[in-house]
Amino acid sequence: MKSRGRADEVLLRRVFEEHGAALLAYASRLAGDRARGQAIAREALVAAWRDPEVLVGPARTRLFALVRELVGAGPATDIALLGAMETLAPEERDVLRALYFQGRDVAEAAESLGVPAGAVKTRSYHALRRLREAVAAG
Amino acid sequence: MSEHETDLLGAYVLGVLDRGEQTAVQAHLDGCPHCRREVDDLRGMEAALGEIPPEAFLDGPPPDGDFLLQNTLREVRRISAREVRRNRALVAAAAVVAVVVALGAGAVVGRGTADTPVAAGPAVPGSRTGAGLDAGTGVSMSATVRPAAGWVRVSATVTGVPAGEQCRLFVVARDGSREPAGSWLASPSGSTTLDGAALMAPAEVAAVQAETYAGQILVAVPI
Repeated sequence: MKSRGRADEVLLRRVFEEHGAALLAYASRLAGDRARGQAIAREALVAAWRDPEVLVGPARTRLFALVRELVGAGPATDIALLGAMETLAPEERDVLRALYFQGRDVAEAAESLGVPAGAVKTRSYHALRRLREAVAAG
Repeated sequence: MSEHETDLLGAYVLGVLDRGEQTAVQAHLDGCPHCRREVDDLRGMEAALGEIPPEAFLDGPPPDGDFLLQNTLREVRRISAREVRRNRALVAAAAVVAVVVALGAGAVVGRGTADTPVAAGPAVPGSRTGAGLDAGTGVSMSATVRPAAGWVRVSATVTGVPAGEQCRLFVVARDGSREPAGSWLASPSGSTTLDGAALMAPAEVAAVQAETYAGQILVAVPI
């Protein structure tokens, strides 16, 4: 079989569906405004399209690294952690986001995520455990 | 909390339990070295969370992200078109090969149709059909993919392409890779029906896509 070369638009759309929100928010913050963030995010996506190998493995970590490069920020110190984040299930990430970044308590997180309080507790424990194992392994 | 209720320890470390539970966990920790060690480990990760950009926790497409997507696709098409121009000689040579292959396939199908008309016959089990209109280009397509042994037959009717446009048909796999399935010249009638084939496992086919030789996608139909 020949080498596949570039990604197809279908792949690009899939990347956008999965990582678009994170990519644009990250680029906008580092770039300082949303318009420049849009341009940076676009360039990062085009770079991923040129070289789909970027998307094998921890895709989001690589996309974030591309954004840093394009913005002219130095390499991140938290690459291993970011990669570890990608090993979490989406529902575990949701719980950590609610508890840690949005400052909700268990009851509030359970309500905003629409899951029982028990699930919030279990997931937060497993998420932290998983992060620790992934960081230790990486 | 007499047993090790480790499930609570994550929320405890994050400080998000209610007062009663927080106190109960604290009381348990006082007498349980095992859980204390676990808590120390988890505190390390809680501190590390502060190093992670908060954006890493977002999933899905951005709100109001269509501008970014369209902008990106335009850029990608522009780059493709530029490179196609540069490689036109190469593409033309490849097209000749594709036509020869298509003619070969046509001959085989032709013999088959004497007994069992493939195109008009009953659907092969596992056949899948899709149809769609691209609002941007005004091109519509209906396509049927019929499984063969490790490859697929494709029938498509493409409508709305300006007469004289050189077009290509691709099948697109779930992983985004693609295989050519045929090429044609858009007719003055505005509608072209073609049969093609592609070396792609039937289960892998995600979409059929028509595009110009300049790389502009005319329409893509999920299958």
